[in-house]
Amino acid sequence: MGISLTVGMAVIETERLTKLYGSSRGIEDVSFSVEAGEVFGFLGPNGAGKTTAIRTLLDMLHPTRGSARIFGLDSHRESVAIRARLGNLPGDFGYGRQACGREALGLLARLRGIDGLGRAEALAERFRADLDRPLGELSRGNRQKVGLILATFHSPELLILDEPTSGLDPLMQEEFLALVAEERERGCAVLLSSHELDEVERVCDRVGIIRDGRLIAVERVAELLAKTQRHNSVEVEFAEPVELEDVRAMPGVVDAKFTHATLEEVFLTYYEEGEGRAEGAGAREGEG
Amino acid sequence: MSGQLAALARAHLSDRRRSLIAWGVPLGLWSAFIVIIFPSVEGALSKAVQSYPPALREAFGIGELANVEQYLHAEMLSLIVPLALGYLAVRAVASGLSGAAESGRLDVLLSAPVSRRRLAAASFGATAIELAIVLALTVILTALGSVVSGADLSFASALAGYAAVWPLALVFAGLGIVATGFSLRTSVVTGSVAGVLVTMYVIDLVGRLDPDLSGIRYLSVFRYYGNAIEDGIDPPAFCGVTAAAIVFAMLGAWLFERRDLSA
Repeated sequence: MGISLTVGMAVIETERLTKLYGSSRGIEDVSFSVEAGEVFGFLGPNGAGKTTAIRTLLDMLHPTRGSARIFGLDSHRESVAIRARLGNLPGDFGYGRQACGREALGLLARLRGIDGLGRAEALAERFRADLDRPLGELSRGNRQKVGLILATFHSPELLILDEPTSGLDPLMQEEFLALVAEERERGCAVLLSSHELDEVERVCDRVGIIRDGRLIAVERVAELLAKTQRHNSVEVEFAEPVELEDVRAMPGVVDAKFTHATLEEVFLTYYEEGEGRAEGAGAREGEG
Repeated sequence: MSGQLAALARAHLSDRRRSLIAWGVPLGLWSAFIVIIFPSVEGALSKAVQSYPPALREAFGIGELANVEQYLHAEMLSLIVPLALGYLAVRAVASGLSGAAESGRLDVLLSAPVSRRRLAAASFGATAIELAIVLALTVILTALGSVVSGADLSFASALAGYAAVWPLALVFAGLGIVATGFSLRTSVVTGSVAGVLVTMYVIDLVGRLDPDLSGIRYLSVFRYYGNAIEDGIDPPAFCGVTAAAIVFAMLGAWLFERRDLSA
């Protein structure tokens, strides 16, 4: 499916969108927009209202008041037409235990009127997803990969992803972030809900911060980060070991401290080195 | 958009393929067993039945047990098969809606351009096919039992007897969709409709036992069930009950469309 949107065009527009239900907290007066070619991060802790907002956009919950337009269409009355153009990864993805990913893809392709499975095979290879095992036999992370493929295989114009990296290992998280960046390049609008600040910082253009069901801030990530520049904190990597006291003695330095690499950085370094060695060995075998 | 309906119904049936065997084979074997033992118990049965109170015979539809069709009606078609198929119907329809909501599948399906009404229609249609397959399997095994035992069962009569269960069971599939309009918990949907199923059976039974209360039978779909294995299918009753099932399904789809699908 090609993208019929122009970069910068509003794909999602909500106006004081409100959903109040039962004793559970919903969302109240949520107004924001997401443009084509933009990754918008919905940021907030669990229970803040991110999923409620997404389900209201998808017409799974009917708004108490306010409105949402997607592709210029009313999210409630024209929901079917909207869903023809989007891909959605629900939070805590599930599809039953018996069916395998390929069966789920086949059904979704038929519902979307697509011949074949689009780019599903390529995505399965990229994410190392097993499409032929029953979903009930897969680990949470491997099920999540199938969910990602179901959301993206038809190259939608809008991607709605609710906690997409939940259960994915760091390597697959990297691959996922690369995919989101590629989708943005393609002109796709992406609404990404997460409480992982690192992934939001790396991939999102703008973020909306939601707290207790209310959107308390919408800003560009770069601007948010610029606000922290007043701390004048820099991270320096030295080619050789240095003494901390020598650094503190440098002109203009107020304080200095050593930080250790994060486990994620160590893991990725080891894994990438391992893959490099394996590829080198494979190449040598090929030469032999 | 009939392609969407067909795709959804196919997927539903594929998920329920084990259930087709799990219900069709035991019911068919049981029915075949009844047919197989008939020649050896035929004489004793007639005497036993004559000793029953007339009201009891009337209530359970046990008239003469002079032939295998009458015996099959008394043993299978007057109670066990209608109740079993009614329960299967509500389980089947619930698996496509509330069951799908519980497993997360509903969220995935509703990410595609498909309306909730179409999902409900596909679930109802697939349930109608599932019921027909289970009944067909039962009839085939019953007919095989007749051939093996030489019970001289009329295939056409057996077919009519079991076919009459189909619209009756379908009513409970329709009521299952109505229940889904109020709850997305499978236990609530199946429990409430199973309660209605048993209540309707008891209402019809009481109405048959007490002539003064015969009017309450109109509250029960069993009033229109009859005895098709002996009398043949009553077309107005068959079509009327099928239409009622469709009306319930449409009402349920409307309610399902309007409700919130909470996380």
